[in-house]
Amino acid sequence: MTFEALKQKKRMKVKLRGSASLILLLGTLAIFLLANVLSPYGPNDIGVGDHFAPPSGAHLFGTDNLGRDLLSRILFGGRITVLIALGATSIALILGSAWGILAGIRGGWIDEFLMRTADALMAVPLILFALFCISALGSSVASLILVAGILLSPSTARMARSAVKAELASPYVVSAVASGFSKVRLVWNEVMVNIAPQLLVQISINAASAVMLEATLSFVGFGLQPPNASLGTLILQGYAQIYNSIWFVLFPVITVMMTILVFNNYGEQLRLSLDSKRSSS
Amino acid sequence: MRALDGVTFSVEQGSTLALVGESGSGKTTAARMVLGLDTPDTGSVAILGKRLESLKSEELRVLRRSIQVVQQDPYSQLNRRHSVQRIIEGPLIAFGETDASIRKAKAIELLDAVGLERAYLNRRPHELSGGQCQRVAIARALIIEPKILVLDEAVSALDVSIRAQVLNLLRSLQRERSLTYLFITHDLGVAKYMADDIAVMFRGKIMEKGNREDIFKNSAHHYTRNLISSVPRTEPPIQRKQTYDIQALPTINENDACSYRSRCSVGLQQAKCQTESVPLTSGSASHAWLCHFPLENGMK
Amino acid sequence: MSDVLRVENLTVTVPSLEGAVPAVDDISFTIPTGTKVALVGESGSGKSLTAFSIMRLVDHPVKIQTGKIWLGDREISSLTDKEFRTIRGAEIAMIYQDPMSTLNPIMRVGRQIIESIQLYSDVSTKAARIRALELLNDVGILEPEKSLNSYPFEMSGGMLQRSVIAMALSGTPKLLIADEATTALDVTTQARVLDLVDKLAIERNLSVLLITHDLGVAAQFADEVMVMYDGRIVEKGSVHQIFTRPMHPYTRALLDSRCDDTVDYSQPIKSIPGQPPRPALRGDKCSFAARCSHVQENCLSSTPTLIDYGNTSAACFHSEKIISMSEVI
Repeated sequence: MTFEALKQKKRMKVKLRGSASLILLLGTLAIFLLANVLSPYGPNDIGVGDHFAPPSGAHLFGTDNLGRDLLSRILFGGRITVLIALGATSIALILGSAWGILAGIRGGWIDEFLMRTADALMAVPLILFALFCISALGSSVASLILVAGILLSPSTARMARSAVKAELASPYVVSAVASGFSKVRLVWNEVMVNIAPQLLVQISINAASAVMLEATLSFVGFGLQPPNASLGTLILQGYAQIYNSIWFVLFPVITVMMTILVFNNYGEQLRLSLDSKRSSS
Repeated sequence: MRALDGVTFSVEQGSTLALVGESGSGKTTAARMVLGLDTPDTGSVAILGKRLESLKSEELRVLRRSIQVVQQDPYSQLNRRHSVQRIIEGPLIAFGETDASIRKAKAIELLDAVGLERAYLNRRPHELSGGQCQRVAIARALIIEPKILVLDEAVSALDVSIRAQVLNLLRSLQRERSLTYLFITHDLGVAKYMADDIAVMFRGKIMEKGNREDIFKNSAHHYTRNLISSVPRTEPPIQRKQTYDIQALPTINENDACSYRSRCSVGLQQAKCQTESVPLTSGSASHAWLCHFPLENGMK
Repeated sequence: MSDVLRVENLTVTVPSLEGAVPAVDDISFTIPTGTKVALVGESGSGKSLTAFSIMRLVDHPVKIQTGKIWLGDREISSLTDKEFRTIRGAEIAMIYQDPMSTLNPIMRVGRQIIESIQLYSDVSTKAARIRALELLNDVGILEPEKSLNSYPFEMSGGMLQRSVIAMALSGTPKLLIADEATTALDVTTQARVLDLVDKLAIERNLSVLLITHDLGVAAQFADEVMVMYDGRIVEKGSVHQIFTRPMHPYTRALLDSRCDDTVDYSQPIKSIPGQPPRPALRGDKCSFAARCSHVQENCLSSTPTLIDYGNTSAACFHSEKIISMSEVI
C-alpha cells in the first residue's frame, strides 16, 4: 500500500517545523554573537543609568546595582555562554563520537573498557566533578569549555556507539565489507552519513546541557570573575539583589530558559524529521 | 549448536552451485563463511586457491576484489543516504580509485549492463522499485569485475514478473562475464533454473548434492524428495485431495544420528538411522548423499 | 442465498500526489459457500487492501469510496462500526502473513486463545480451556497442552500460524480470509498448513478467501481464482480454467514467467517487461497495455471490463487471441 502523498504532506509539515526551529536557533545565536553591534551600551559601563532602574525606553531590561545596562550585559553574557556551549559541544562531539565509534567498531574488551569508563564518568555527580576540575584549573572561559566538553562526552559516546552498532548490523554494511572496505573507510565512507543526523541531534541536546551547566557552575561561584559576566554569573548577581530588583534576576533566568528551549526544540524537530524519514523508506 | 556441520562443497569456475534449504539449514551461514565474514571453527574455505583462514586481514580485503555479494532485501542492502551512482561506485572507492571520472564512467557502463538508464545515477534507493534496487546491487557487485558472485536469496523478495527479469539478467551476465555463482535460495524452482549443481541442506548438513538431473530426477535423499514434492506446482490437481497431511512437523531429535530421522518415513522405522552415523555415499561422480536407506532412483 | 460473501462495486482510494486515487477500483465478486477462492496479484495490485476493506480494517487516509458487501444475505457494509465488531472475528476471521500481528508477544498462547473463545461465547474459563485444547488439536499441534503454556517466542513460525488459525476458529466463522498466511513459512511447513486449512474448510463448511502472490499456492489450494492487476480483477474463473486456458494476457504472462521445478532451464524464462504500476489516476485505457505484448489501439483508448465467457471472465478486448495461443501451447 502506498501512502505517498500523505507521507509527503507529513514530511512537508515536519520540514516546515524543522526549518522554523533552525531559523530560531540561528537567530538566537546571531543575537548573542552580534552582541557588540546590538548592545546599546558597553556591558561594563558603570552608571549609564540609575541603580536598579526598572525596564524603560532607555534601558529595555532595566539596570543593575551599579547602574549598568542589563540588556547589554545579558547580550555580552549570552555571547560568552553561547561560546562556552559551542566549544564544549565541539569537544564532546569529537571526543565522544571518536570514543563511541571506536568502541562500536572494535567490540570485545576495547568496547567493554571504553563503555565502562563512560559509565563510571556518568556515575560521578556532574557538579562535583565540575567543581573539582574548576578548582584545579581555575575558572576561565577555556576551563569551562574543557570541563563541560569532557562532561558531555560520555553520553555522546554512548549514543555514537549504539548508532554505529545498529548500522553495522544492517545489510548494506555486509555488502560494503564484502566489497572490500577497510574498517576505517567503512565508517568514514559508508556509515558516517547514516549516523550524522543522530549526532546532530546529540549536538543540540549537548548545547542545551552546556548552557545549563555553565549557568549552574557560575551560579555556585565557579564562573567568570567580575567584571566579565556570563548568563550564569548574571543570575548569581541578580539573585543576590533579589530584594532590590526583581528584573535583575528575572531577565537572565528567562534568557537562559529561552536559549535552552531553542536548542532543545531544534534537536527535537531534527529527531522527528529523522523518524519520519525512517518510517517512509 | 552447530550451524554448519561437516559441510563440503566446491564450485567450478564459470558454473553455478545452488545451496538450497529451509530456514535454519545453515545456507546463509555458509555464504558468510565463503565471503570471509565469519570464520569456521574447523575446516577451511578456499577462494581461487587461496585459503581464507591463512590470509592476513589486508590480504583478505584484496581477495574480496574477486568475490562480491548480492543480498535478499532490495532496499536495506543499499546505503539509504547514497545516490545510485555512489552506491555502484562503492567497491571502486573501497579499492582506492580516486579518479571520479573513471568511477562515473564505470558506473554508467554497469548501469547499462544491468538494464537501467543513466537517469538513475542520481536517484536514491527509496525512489526505486524492488527490482530496480536489485539491479543496482548487481551493478555494484560487478563493478570491480569479480570472478565470483554470492547471491544470497537475491530474487526472493521480488514479484513473479520481476523475478524472471532478474534471473534472466543474472544468467546473461554470467555468460558474458564468465562469472561463478554461489546461489543461496530456499526456492527449488529458482535453483533448477540457475544452477548446474545443487546442494540440499538441512540443519547444517548437506544431505544431497548433485547436478540438476541427480537432484530432480534421481533424488536419493528422502528430504530432497519431500522438499521437491512440497513445492506447490502451478498445475492444479486433477482431483480433490483424498489425504491430508495436517500434523505439525515433528521436532528434530538432536540425538539421532541422521538429523532428518524424526521427519523421515523410512528412518523412523530404522534403528540404524538413530544410532549409526551416516556416511557420504556416492552414486556417481556428480551425485552424493547422506542416507542409510536412499530412494531407489539414486541407486540406478 | 448460497454465497457466503458478495462484494459489489468496491472502490478504495489511497492518497497520492494527484489526490485520492483508486487502489481497488470498482471490483465485484462472490464467494460461494464452502468454496476456496484465491485472489492472486503482485505487490501493489490491491489484493490485500481488498481483504482489509472487507474486514473494515482500513483507516483514514485510505477510504472505502463505494461498495456494498453482503455476508450471507445480510448487508454488512451499512452496519455501524459497533455492529460490525460483532461480525469481525466471529463470522469473518482473518489470518495474516506475520502471526505476530495477531498474537501478544508477552502473553501465553493458551491464554490468548481462551480469551478469544470467551470473547465470542459466554463460557467459563475451564470450558474455554477444554475448547482451546480441542482447537489446538484440530490445527494439528501434536502437544496441545504444551503449546497452551508456551509463549509466542518459544514457537516456530509454523506453530505460531497454527495457533493463530486456532484463534481464528474460536468464533466459528463462516469465512476465513488468509492474507499471504503461508508466505513466510518453509515449503514443507507451508504444504501442511495449506492442507490443514483445506481440511478445516471441508469439515466446517468454511469458505476461504486466500490472498497470495504465489501462483503455485493458488493452483494447489483454490477452487476458484481471481487475478488482480492495478486495483482491478482482470480475470476470474475456475482454477483449471485460469491455469490451463487463461484468457487475459496478464494471467498468461504470469504463468509464462513462473519459475518452479517444471521450468525449462535451457532457455530464458519469458518475463513481463516493465514494473507493476502503483496506484494512480488512470486514463481511459487498459492498465496492463504498457507491458502487454498483444496491445492494440483500442487498448489505449478505452478500459476493458470483465467479459463473461461462461465459467470464466476476463477484462481484455483480445481474449480470443490469448485463448488460441494457449491451445497452441
